[in-house]
Amino acid sequence: MGMNVTTAGELIPERVMREQRDSSLRRTLLFASGAMVLLLASVLVSAVLGAVHISPRAILAALGGNHAALSTAEQMILLQVRLPRIVTAGIIGAALSLAGVLFQGLFRNPMADPYVLGTSGGAAVGAAFGIFLFPATTLLGFSAAASFAFLGSIVTIILVYSLARTGGKTPMVPLLLAGMAVSIILGEASSVLVYLGDEVSFNARNLALWLHGTITAISWPQILLASGMLLAGGILCIPLRPVLDLFALGEEYAQQLGIRIELARAALIIVASLFTAAAVLLGGVISFVGLLVPHIIRLMVGPEHGRLLLLSAICGASYLILADTVARTVHAPSEFPVGIITAFIGAPVLIYLLRRSKREYAL
Amino acid sequence: MNSLLSVHNLSFDYGARPILDEVNFEIARGETVALMGANGAGKTTLLKIFAGLLTPSGGEVCLLGRPLAACSRRELARSIALVPQEVSISVDFTVLQFVRQGRAPYLSFLGIPQNSDRLAVWKAMDLAGVEHLAHRRFNELSGGERQRVKIALALAQEPQLLLLDEPAQHLDIGRQAEIFSVLEKLNQQGITIVAAVHDLESACRHFTQGILLCPGSPPIVGAPPEILTPAAIQAVFDLKASENGHSAFLVKQKEPA
Repeated sequence: MGMNVTTAGELIPERVMREQRDSSLRRTLLFASGAMVLLLASVLVSAVLGAVHISPRAILAALGGNHAALSTAEQMILLQVRLPRIVTAGIIGAALSLAGVLFQGLFRNPMADPYVLGTSGGAAVGAAFGIFLFPATTLLGFSAAASFAFLGSIVTIILVYSLARTGGKTPMVPLLLAGMAVSIILGEASSVLVYLGDEVSFNARNLALWLHGTITAISWPQILLASGMLLAGGILCIPLRPVLDLFALGEEYAQQLGIRIELARAALIIVASLFTAAAVLLGGVISFVGLLVPHIIRLMVGPEHGRLLLLSAICGASYLILADTVARTVHAPSEFPVGIITAFIGAPVLIYLLRRSKREYAL
Repeated sequence: MNSLLSVHNLSFDYGARPILDEVNFEIARGETVALMGANGAGKTTLLKIFAGLLTPSGGEVCLLGRPLAACSRRELARSIALVPQEVSISVDFTVLQFVRQGRAPYLSFLGIPQNSDRLAVWKAMDLAGVEHLAHRRFNELSGGERQRVKIALALAQEPQLLLLDEPAQHLDIGRQAEIFSVLEKLNQQGITIVAAVHDLESACRHFTQGILLCPGSPPIVGAPPEILTPAAIQAVFDLKASENGHSAFLVKQKEPA
């Protein structure tokens, strides 16, 4: 029997295959460019809105080379206030969404998200400890805060993982309970830090705000550090993409399809923690982004992880840029922590997923 | 004879409970082998050891003379495919997306599929007769369709040895016949098949070899109608000679195949 002849006598020509590959590639590119347009639009909206309204036409003109379209004050606001903030929100949104996709793949559970699992809290406590204990130390070029945030996230995830897993599975309820229990402990630990902070003139109010998720004035070195972490994690996602697809079949299936399961699990935990730490360093504990964004993307493009990761990153960035814009404009000139906005949007999605899980929910 | 898989002094235990004790047998290339035995006799355990999912506590299994322990996971996955009894997938894969996973052991580090991978996937779906289901959701398939889709995934691995754990369980006789005719077709393509089988009648009808796992004594190996003697069945399944199921089977067994 020839290689390309089906039992029905039909051909499976290479041409059909090529068409299929092209159409799937084209679809991915189409989705990605749509998402990029959305991202650029979010950036523009966020640049325009604020205590001072800046005309979008003037911004576009300035981008086109006509710098005179913007006043000096407007240029200063854009470049020194809004732009760093937009970039920060974008990085956090992308990092949290990617962490969500990785955790959901690892736990085989659509509700796994850095906030729900308590890893954001773990990273925050780690970072606070780093700032508190070693304010001036660096490790391999990373500040103590970054290193401890990363460690905090890893420790939390291992704790939740071992608490919630029974017989190779992580059922919904134990996962949520383990995440909640760990979050409570972490919440109290951070409160202790807030109290202690007062005694050693640690900026306790900032810490408290940060633990509730807020994007404030961020320095470029911090942005650079976090974007480096995001980029490193993003690159590691490329080989992890097929691993995540295989995890969806169950660990034993993945194993007999050639995956070294302990290695894969460790890699997923490390990369997801890298994302979580990057997000927490910039914005503290921002809730439900990693839950909401991958869920919507999955509904749009299906469950395969290549597209899911790419689009979750881009759309996650747009989502948080817009959420942050809302946070700083609804009650201007004062601001809400962005974590409140994402909680109001994300919590109903969690409830919805819980309801669906009663009917044997699959991602 | 050309031996594909050889089992030497293989032992396995779950803690204190011994399952396999110094088992020896060989599986020749091109055979269809029915693995039989009572519940808990170690059929699934044996399949999992062959697929590299469990490590034996003693002895070894060789694929074409090479110990499985010396093969990497990916190498194993390119030669041996296991169709598990149950699968629960946590995402809403379509059949095509599901079967594609069978190419995982062939993908490069970056995981980008080539045309040869796409070809293997479609060929596998065609052989298993699930091409028309390509865009259906795996979780919405019937039991028989699911079984054939799992076989398609295994075929996408382009294995020399196909292992199946109770491939016909929970299927009506029509769907069972479909599965066995797919297996027959695969065997004609040169794939060696080892399946854990409960139904002794199917074992006699569809398999060229039988391995009957007996607790406490070496497995009985041979053509299924020959090894399934009343004495062996009585010993292995703890059946009283007067019981109907048993005698009904023995009557059918004497019919020409």
